Amino acid sequence: MSEHDQFRELIEAYALGALDANERAALEAHLASGCPECAKALEEARLVVTQLAYLAPPAEPSEMLRARVLRSVRADAASGGSGGGSLPMQAGGAQRTSVPMWLWAGVAALLLVSLYSTWEARKMQQDVAEMNQHAAAGLKERKQLEDELTMAKHEAMILTDPASHKIEIMPSDKDMPKVEAMWHSKLGIYLTAQKMPMPKNNKVLQLWLIPKTPGAKPMPSHVFWPDANGKIGEMVANPPDDMGDTKALAITEEPPGGSPQPTSTPLWVGGVS
Amino acid sequence: MGKYGEGESPSDSALVERFLRKDVSAFEELYDRHSRVVYALVVRILQQGSTAEEVVQDVFLHLWRNAGQYQSSRGPFVPWLLTLARNRALDQLRLKSERQRRREDQTEEIPAIAQSPEYEKVLDEKRRAERVRSLMGTLSAPQKKAIEMAYFEGLSHSEIAESLQEPLGTVKSWIRNGLLRLKEGLQTAS
Repeated sequence: MSEHDQFRELIEAYALGALDANERAALEAHLASGCPECAKALEEARLVVTQLAYLAPPAEPSEMLRARVLRSVRADAASGGSGGGSLPMQAGGAQRTSVPMWLWAGVAALLLVSLYSTWEARKMQQDVAEMNQHAAAGLKERKQLEDELTMAKHEAMILTDPASHKIEIMPSDKDMPKVEAMWHSKLGIYLTAQKMPMPKNNKVLQLWLIPKTPGAKPMPSHVFWPDANGKIGEMVANPPDDMGDTKALAITEEPPGGSPQPTSTPLWVGGVS
Repeated sequence: MGKYGEGESPSDSALVERFLRKDVSAFEELYDRHSRVVYALVVRILQQGSTAEEVVQDVFLHLWRNAGQYQSSRGPFVPWLLTLARNRALDQLRLKSERQRRREDQTEEIPAIAQSPEYEKVLDEKRRAERVRSLMGTLSAPQKKAIEMAYFEGLSHSEIAESLQEPLGTVKSWIRNGLLRLKEGLQTAS
């Protein structure tokens, strides 16, 4: 097998981002040498790889997210923000205009005269752009902090509001820790636990609401996993308004992304009412 | 969610050009058209709705502020957007798991993606999903698993081999042959 063929065999994995460092570096060097066949194969492989996105289970973004995004964009547009950044050169997109030679000469003369002031103006534009960038970064950081604060307030309200109902979700294995849920019908469910083991084989934990109605299927809810220290602190938004319809909360291990119906026996179960 | 019936909706590239000129309604149209597939992808990678919303917001604001980075001459819009979303979500995933691994593209510049073949042009989102799922269904379970681990979890050949307890060479073959089969299937289906 020629060296080129060996590189050609790496293209698909490279497009997927799955190559290990040494193979990746070697292939990048080969691509940088200007191999047209590999470059074309890579573009095609990238298109195939992006199709994998459609394997993700369907999910609907909230109206709140849409409102947030559009609010930011409108504010950006109103403040004369970048509005999409610089326009790239598109093939066949540029329109040429016919300009008489005498006008070009005039423009050239004007350019010479105003060279200094142009330089000054450009420098000022750069300074303003830099300041805008700093301001945007500051605003983003502030927004993140505000979001975190809002979330923390939300959690604190659930934990302290007398209207919240505490549910102990007990493990089937006595060596496992219990999970506590504070259910507030308006604010959500807040799950906490300590020393939780990380699910094996890339599985995730999934919360289920077991309805009281006989024969009704468990309602799939939040998918989560513990952090590196085994801590759980998860907010489950939009629980059913009436907690009385739910008999119990259960937690199972599920494949990545969660499942529409449980695929394993619950590892934790807690009666609601 | 789009405002236009089939056959009269503007192309993605046309919408991008419009919001490059600060046309917020064009951005809104593009958001409504593609936010679901972007959100589904990010949720699948991060497994967490609240963080996923932050990442999706970040992706679309980046799109608004840096749409000039997208060049229609270098490939179709949706794969470009999905690549941006995947990169951002994997960055977030690595941040969360403190797993600092390299990424193929460390910059915000999304690499060139092949111009749309027929299969890319004609299908709506739902049919695309059905077609890709059906083609992936023809692969063996471990082959599909290996490809999904690489795509959704950002794992390398050797990390997948270790996780699945399979020889490295086997994992490489699974992934390459699987993607080639997917490519062939997509071309045949068009």
